[in-house]
Amino acid sequence: MTENKIDMAAMVVDDPVVEEVKVDISREETIVARVTERFPYLLGTLTIQRPGRIISNPLQREHFEEVLAYLISEQSFYTFHLVIGVDDGDDLGFIYAISNQDKIVFLLKERAPKADPRIRSLCDIFPNALWHERELVDLFGAVLEGLPPGPTYPLPDNWPAGNYPMRKEWNPAYFDNKTMTYNPPAPKNTEGGAE
Amino acid sequence: MDINSTLIAVFLFPGLLFLCAYATTLEFVDRHVYARLQNRQGPPWYQPIADFLKLMGKEVIIPAGADKTMYKLLPLVSFAAVATAFLCVPVFGPAVKAFNGDLIVVLYLLTIPTACFYLAGWYSTSIYATIGSVRALTQLFSYEVPLFMALLAPAMLAGSWSITEISAYYTANPLYVLFNLPALVVALLAVQGKLERVPFDLPEAETELAGGTFVEYSGRYYAMFRMTVDCELVVLSALIAAIFVPLSFDIWWMEVLCFFISTLLIVFVLTFIRATMPRVRIDQMVRFCWIYLTPLAMAQIILNLFLRGVVG
Amino acid sequence: MAEKITIPIGPQHPSLKEPACFTITMEGEKVVNAVVGLGYNHRGLEKACESRTYIQDLYIIERVCGICSHAHSTAFCQSLEYLAGVEIPQRAAFIRTLVAELERLHSHLLWLGVGAHEIGFDTLFMYTWRDREKVLDLLATLCGNRVNYGINTPGGCRRDLNDEEIAMIRKAMNELEEQVKYYTELALNDTILAARLSGIGKLSHDDALRLGAVGPVSRASGVPDDVRAIDPYAAYGIVPFKVITDDHCDVFGRAVVRVLEMQESIKMIRFCLDNLPSGEIAAKFPRRIPAGEVFTRVEAPRGEDTHYVRSNGTDKPDRVRVRAATEANWHAVRHMIEGDMLADVPIIIAAIDPCYSCTDRSFVVKDPLTGKDKQMDWGALRQYGIDWYRKERGVDPSRIPLPGKRFY
Repeated sequence: MTENKIDMAAMVVDDPVVEEVKVDISREETIVARVTERFPYLLGTLTIQRPGRIISNPLQREHFEEVLAYLISEQSFYTFHLVIGVDDGDDLGFIYAISNQDKIVFLLKERAPKADPRIRSLCDIFPNALWHERELVDLFGAVLEGLPPGPTYPLPDNWPAGNYPMRKEWNPAYFDNKTMTYNPPAPKNTEGGAE
Repeated sequence: MDINSTLIAVFLFPGLLFLCAYATTLEFVDRHVYARLQNRQGPPWYQPIADFLKLMGKEVIIPAGADKTMYKLLPLVSFAAVATAFLCVPVFGPAVKAFNGDLIVVLYLLTIPTACFYLAGWYSTSIYATIGSVRALTQLFSYEVPLFMALLAPAMLAGSWSITEISAYYTANPLYVLFNLPALVVALLAVQGKLERVPFDLPEAETELAGGTFVEYSGRYYAMFRMTVDCELVVLSALIAAIFVPLSFDIWWMEVLCFFISTLLIVFVLTFIRATMPRVRIDQMVRFCWIYLTPLAMAQIILNLFLRGVVG
Repeated sequence: MAEKITIPIGPQHPSLKEPACFTITMEGEKVVNAVVGLGYNHRGLEKACESRTYIQDLYIIERVCGICSHAHSTAFCQSLEYLAGVEIPQRAAFIRTLVAELERLHSHLLWLGVGAHEIGFDTLFMYTWRDREKVLDLLATLCGNRVNYGINTPGGCRRDLNDEEIAMIRKAMNELEEQVKYYTELALNDTILAARLSGIGKLSHDDALRLGAVGPVSRASGVPDDVRAIDPYAAYGIVPFKVITDDHCDVFGRAVVRVLEMQESIKMIRFCLDNLPSGEIAAKFPRRIPAGEVFTRVEAPRGEDTHYVRSNGTDKPDRVRVRAATEANWHAVRHMIEGDMLADVPIIIAAIDPCYSCTDRSFVVKDPLTGKDKQMDWGALRQYGIDWYRKERGVDPSRIPLPGKRFY
């Protein structure tokens, strides 16, 4: 875990009062140890970035779901903060921030191919995931299985279908907000033209 | 009274013209005192008149679903009712049209505007207006009983249903007014409900109903409603002054001064109540009226009947 | 009235300061169902951030929200500092804390006024906003702007405090302390206010956790959830303060938490001034930031703001995700509204101190004539308005005098 120490040294503020406080990451280490014990394929992929932050590597859907279920039921990660959608080139990434009573935030990542970005909705477990997941649908074009029906959010009702503005290949310069159409120039000019 | 002086009394003084002029003045006083209590500068004296004239010049938009006749008629009816009621209230001495039982007539005429507000909200078919009008009616059933009882209790002690005679009775026996103090408190609080002012402005409730009953009203019809409410303030404050202030003078300017001072004081108290309280909920309003105001007014009536027996 | 009525509150409604739509189904006056509609304020900020440099992004992030702009810019700067491995000087940390607490003070005063207005108590509204002006004047003196202070920069702060300003803050704090004590007294003891606020918008301790409520909303439900204590940033590890919680679990509790927090803020501001370290206010900050990712939490006046920044080694971020406090509180709002009276809906919504532009985030300012990004100063904006009216409406507003001296 040398990598962790370097990271923590970077975050310690140059201040006499703070330096007296020993940086204690034993709770985080316990969680990481338990999770890796249960799921050996996670070995070496969990990073303790700094006190209160555990970050995983992107997982495939089936792995993600079992790790999440374990974290909720066995490690009492009851609080859902948000889900962050990211564009990883050919894949879409989803970063779920959940935390437990000790306020340790676990950034659990999921990955789904852009061609078929199908993931499970967490609305039944965390009711407050609703708006965040609607956002994934509108902005990234993710397909959330089990998301309750409802209005589009945050894009307007007359937004053209198939336009996912947070994907890297989508360029706002080509969008005409008068006619609500997306007119990319000839494919050779755009990076996302391959699709 | 010949026809000319009657016309003057009805339309100019102390009738319609004076009523409207004094209504705008009282609105100015109300708004200015309210503003000063809130640490604001407040509007200039001509602001209510300017507001009225501006509204008169604005375009009238009648909702498609609304009943056009009722929409146009209701402001006029409510204004006419208030203006008529004013003729029976003593201003600078006896009222224009004083007769035995005019107190009851005034109180009933003053119920007409509230009924009009209810109908106005109902006929304008907006959802906000409908809820506001239902609230107006619910509120009416709550404050009307204590208000009537609070104003009739002094009449019982005086042994007359004529406002002018009640006033004369208390001028002769000024100390008896002290017995009526609970009724005065009840009347002042109930009047807040009648005029739909904070804490009982539920039918309008800007932040909940976006204006409530009047939400669909615009232009001169809305101006008429505004003027009705202002005139109601004049009539009610003059009525309360006539019944509860035991002062009457032979010198005319003393009389005038007395009228202005007492009505202004009443308006000041009403404004003070408005400035220091948040709006209550409809259930709290109904509960307050029936649990506190009505029994208090009832006790006042019993007390006055008893006193009536004692003093004869 | 056993029939169900559906009433829309919003997108334009006097009780909402910004667009949102609450479709409320009622039985009589009782709310049986509430549907929240959002998204009217989406401005595409996160996308805009990806195509701009970090320094440009700071200005965008600062404009996520007018009221808690400092919290957002602090979160963003901290993310960048963490990614670049830069430590900010102690003095800068203290100035950040100071401005954050001033911001909390002004936001809570604003909330108290808005809340009072929602229940028709305009006098309290006028009083609190008068006192809020004092805080805004201080912020304008310190930072040069009433909102969107622009004091943060990656690596520290942009402006230093001098003795004159410190004396000014101390004087204003003495005045405000009196007023805040008065409001505390009012909030705790006024019977009508208490009757109006208590028992409505119930959110139990468990529901607060389950629905992910943050900030004063969760603290009023007895959850000691304050990022300043959990995850200290800036100078919060040094400045002593008490996490205010309350167990009323209703709107009354939220009001109590906020007025007591104002008292704490005043103490913290005094502590910052007393213990302000000397030295530099900003460290040197690189233009390019090595690849990495960071998840930052900051306690804004309205609750927890979280920022996620992913860098890719260039001078532009790969992904910026902003979650403001209001976004976390929506579910709690829906839960709180249902079962209450219509009269309580505005104050319940107001009690989370909602900020729709935070929730929907984002923006691009475009010149409507040329379609290009353009900056306009006050004069240019006024001229644009005059031209527009002259052309479109045929009226010439140029002779309307500009507002002169403010009235106090």
